[in-house]
Amino acid sequence: MPELALTVNGARRAVTVPAEMTLLALLREVLGLTGAKLGCDAGDCGACTVLVDGQAVNACLMLAMQAAGREVLTIEGLAHPLQRAFEKHAALQCGFCGPGVILSAKALLDANNAPTTLEIREALAGNLCRCTGYSKIVEAVQEVARDSPRGRT
Amino acid sequence: MRAFELFRARDSRHAVELLARHGPGARLLAGGTDLLVELKAAARAPQVVIDISSVADLKQIALGDRGLRIGALATHAEIERSPVVRKMAPVLVEAVHSIGAVQTRNLGTLGGNLVSGLPSMDSGPALMALDASVILAGPRGERRLALAEFFIAPRRTALAADELLTAIVVPMASFGKPAAFLKLGLRKGQALALVNVAASTWLDAGAFKQPAIALGAVAPTVIRAPLAERYLDGRDATMESFAEAGRIAAGEAAPISDFRASAQYRREMIAVLTRRALERCLSSH
Repeated sequence: MPELALTVNGARRAVTVPAEMTLLALLREVLGLTGAKLGCDAGDCGACTVLVDGQAVNACLMLAMQAAGREVLTIEGLAHPLQRAFEKHAALQCGFCGPGVILSAKALLDANNAPTTLEIREALAGNLCRCTGYSKIVEAVQEVARDSPRGRT
Repeated sequence: MRAFELFRARDSRHAVELLARHGPGARLLAGGTDLLVELKAAARAPQVVIDISSVADLKQIALGDRGLRIGALATHAEIERSPVVRKMAPVLVEAVHSIGAVQTRNLGTLGGNLVSGLPSMDSGPALMALDASVILAGPRGERRLALAEFFIAPRRTALAADELLTAIVVPMASFGKPAAFLKLGLRKGQALALVNVAASTWLDAGAFKQPAIALGAVAPTVIRAPLAERYLDGRDATMESFAEAGRIAAGEAAPISDFRASAQYRREMIAVLTRRALERCLSSH
């Protein structure tokens, strides 16, 4: 089985995984990081969204081996105003979409710290939520953007 | 997914060698947005997967003396952000922006979209309206094909089993040509096109010059609409000419009826989208 070295939530990890294992399965089953969820397993629902080198991706559509030498950020590695804002605005109900939505929102704010409502909705278009109707999610992201220090990336 | 052997290509030469060594059953992994979905559903696994996703020499986007050369491994997100693509071929930016969602665009590649051979691909019409061509590399060397020659049938392209799509070239003659892309889907994001249309045209003293109309999702492959183009070429650009071109283009397509839409509805939408795309070309002139 091939060996894999990567950085997850700031920590260097070295594992041995089968070539056909997805990044999602690596995170959940090998590393015990179950924040990223198995939803559709086909890249449509976004419940498996993690950041790889700062970019939001579907972990179900990457082989674990493709993350070699790269930096992966999961919800467990995040301490961000978005999380408190989601609590304050009751932006989650069942919570299943939450980790993916929050990471997609973080990636948006890292690239654009003053997004319009349309830009927020477009950035989150790959994260499906069956419970909330998205409006409180958008409000929470807007609050964090508004409160962020000027010029912060 | 069932087990397979994974080889990582160092560069495009190595990728071609690996393809030659492991035979026609080997699959190429670029963005994985089509391949991994397919492998998860497949009854049988390929023996070998060749990972080309980190091959740097296939990711370059650069202006050359032939035109704008986009490496096949450039992701849709990279194309959206590329200053040179935004300047020289903005219609391609519109097209790739409509693909999937942020996550799929961060992984999916332009080459992957083209080799899928899906008539509903979004990059195909935009590139065809720009007269783009593709570069294929194999053990016998490199060859260049116009997109119309590259697309053969649904899910079938001219790519041989031992070949790699290495680059897409937008010719210099298309730089600055007013163009527009429109996609009709059942929703705004993560949508498969019911119809997608790209149009491009120069204007000469108020008349169409070298108009190009490309239609997707309404024929076995992405197609041009040569009768509509011939109707427009040299004709004064008027509201009626846009509408008539749309009607002619609709007749050149062969849409199917499926659970998403009827053939009749798609035909009517070809006319609408073609008219709107031509209007957009004019307003951006």
